[in-house]
Amino acid sequence: MAIMVSIPAGISANQESTLNLTENLGNTITQTEATINQTLTQIDCSLSSGFEGFGFAIIDRGSSGFAPPSSGGFGFTPGQFGNGTGVPGAFGGGAFSRGGTTAMNESLYYDISSIEGVAAVVPSLQASQGTNQTVEMFGRSFTRLVPDYVIEGLPLTSSLVDNYPILPMNITAGRNLQAGDSRVVLLSENNTAFFGAGVGDTIDILGQTFEVIGIHGSTGVEDRTTLYMNLSDAQSLTNNIGYITSITVFADSSDVVTEVANAISSLHPELSVVTGQQRLDQLEAMKTNYETALENAESTVAQTQSIAVQEIIVAVAATSLIVLFVMLYTVRERTKEIGTLKAIGFSNWTVMSQFMLEGVFLSLIAGVVGIAIASVAAPALSGLLLPAVSQGTFGRAFTSVANPGTTASITLTPQLILIALGAAVLLGTLGSLYPAWRASRTRPAEAMRYE
Amino acid sequence: MSEAVLKLENLSKSYSLGKRNVQALSNLNLQVNKGEFVAIMGPSGSGKTTLLNVLGCLDKPTGGKVLLDEVDVTKLPEKALYKIRSSKIGFVFQTFNLLPYLNARENVELPMEGTKKSKSERRRRASELLGMVGLSGREEHRPQRLSAGEQQRVAIARALANDPALILADEPTGNLDAKNKYEIVRLLANLNINQGTTIIMVTHDSHMASQTERLVFLSDGKITKEKQGLHLAKKKLTCPYCGSRTQLGDARCPSCKKRL
Repeated sequence: MAIMVSIPAGISANQESTLNLTENLGNTITQTEATINQTLTQIDCSLSSGFEGFGFAIIDRGSSGFAPPSSGGFGFTPGQFGNGTGVPGAFGGGAFSRGGTTAMNESLYYDISSIEGVAAVVPSLQASQGTNQTVEMFGRSFTRLVPDYVIEGLPLTSSLVDNYPILPMNITAGRNLQAGDSRVVLLSENNTAFFGAGVGDTIDILGQTFEVIGIHGSTGVEDRTTLYMNLSDAQSLTNNIGYITSITVFADSSDVVTEVANAISSLHPELSVVTGQQRLDQLEAMKTNYETALENAESTVAQTQSIAVQEIIVAVAATSLIVLFVMLYTVRERTKEIGTLKAIGFSNWTVMSQFMLEGVFLSLIAGVVGIAIASVAAPALSGLLLPAVSQGTFGRAFTSVANPGTTASITLTPQLILIALGAAVLLGTLGSLYPAWRASRTRPAEAMRYE
Repeated sequence: MSEAVLKLENLSKSYSLGKRNVQALSNLNLQVNKGEFVAIMGPSGSGKTTLLNVLGCLDKPTGGKVLLDEVDVTKLPEKALYKIRSSKIGFVFQTFNLLPYLNARENVELPMEGTKKSKSERRRRASELLGMVGLSGREEHRPQRLSAGEQQRVAIARALANDPALILADEPTGNLDAKNKYEIVRLLANLNINQGTTIIMVTHDSHMASQTERLVFLSDGKITKEKQGLHLAKKKLTCPYCGSRTQLGDARCPSCKKRL
């Protein structure tokens, strides 16, 4: 019975986690597509810089490691594009990271501004705050760093804010940041619960208070937990005065994007420069990656289900046979009792229903005991009985897309318990049918000869 | 004029044992009147148990009639038979056959299940019967806490539950010691004399049989001899210790002074 309960419990847990994953992957694909479209609609391109060479830590935004939403510009990101893993320095143990120890000096800004074909340069500072989380999945647990939020400081000058799409566009509450704002933040809708704050509230960040001026919805994979504020606020808050972590460059026109990118690269070979087209290619690659993972997840669900169905059939057959044999044995053992009952006037029907009732009652008890065992042993049992959803296939995808809190756990729902009890009664009835019939057919004269 | 509770007419029963055809009962004729205490005696294999099974509607004869209260039960379907078993016949077995997981009172109530009696009526009747067989205060005891003699008394109370026309007792004292044998016989005799219960008892204990008022000898499926019992008509029994006569109501044997 424990097995019978554990399997469906395991299935539903596995299914739930896989479906979660599928949903997440689906969302990610949609979001990636949105980002691709965003990038495509911009004629300009973005540049990204790697800095691996001299120890730039990566600012991992939402663990995806994407470059900032530098829509319509070049983005210098001191991070590896599309790599969500290489940032040990950025998060850890709740320590606040200021985006690595060697942020770019603001002077870069002036160098790049002077390049021909550059229309605007947007320096920004990102830093993330994260915590270690232990994630349970398919019977195993592993630790991963989950960023709670990412601070992004942007220069809030009217020449940039009014002319270039550097701020998030999807404002769900309050208002967007505007030129001259200070001591205010634009919070992600994904973080309102974390901070427990809404528009007009003040929140505490690293011991300083900021007013929430507005809430932005997540438009892409990148800014799901980003908290926007004035660059100078961010610099002083994170003790990074004079430093930035990325630069977004807007070219005069799409024709000169490559030229400008090359010029930046030759001026500062240490920067990795990514144009919009390159980003687009990378995003496409990401999308394909996610789609493959989604397919794998879906096929795993189907596979798990078919294995589970087979196991349930075996368990049901075994249970019925056990009931059958136990009841047959009981009937044999109690031939004399049956004979006595019939001799003192019990009808075949009464004798049969007595034994049926007994079989069903025993099965019901077994069912209750089984559910009790399963409620404790189901995770281990289903781990033994069901194939773990292959972690290798989408371990990375999972890491990239999972929100904190999407942990899979095996739960016995009331529905599942009812189904299990129903199965116990049904199997008890099935298994007792023949033995009870045999008992009712026992001829009392013969039964009496048994000692 | 005595009224026939049971009448056997040309009763035959044969069954095949492997290839052999065994004639267990052949052309048996017997009449038992209301209020009689009949002992059926005979060696092993004489057909005693087969006869009792046929009388108890547990087995069907191959020929002849069994008239129980003037109804030929051999013609009745199985469905009617269990009603007859429950209402007209009370069984007492050699091995008592009490249900071990029920207490004395519940065992006595068992035959009343399926009758019109209410739960409280059944309870009252069971307690009353247990009192009658001398087991007041033992109602809640399970069979394993009762002595063999007490168990058989519970079984007798159970047999009486539905006021049957006939008590069929199959070696009721076969598993009991002398003292308990005497008690059971005395109980059956009391029932017979005071309540007018008709009893047919199968036994191969001639001492037991001699306590009844009528003995029927069975051999090879035929009635070979019938004779009047020695004592019961005079309300007398035989002391199990010294063999002298005792009165039905005696608490001690008048000759050896042992407690009966």
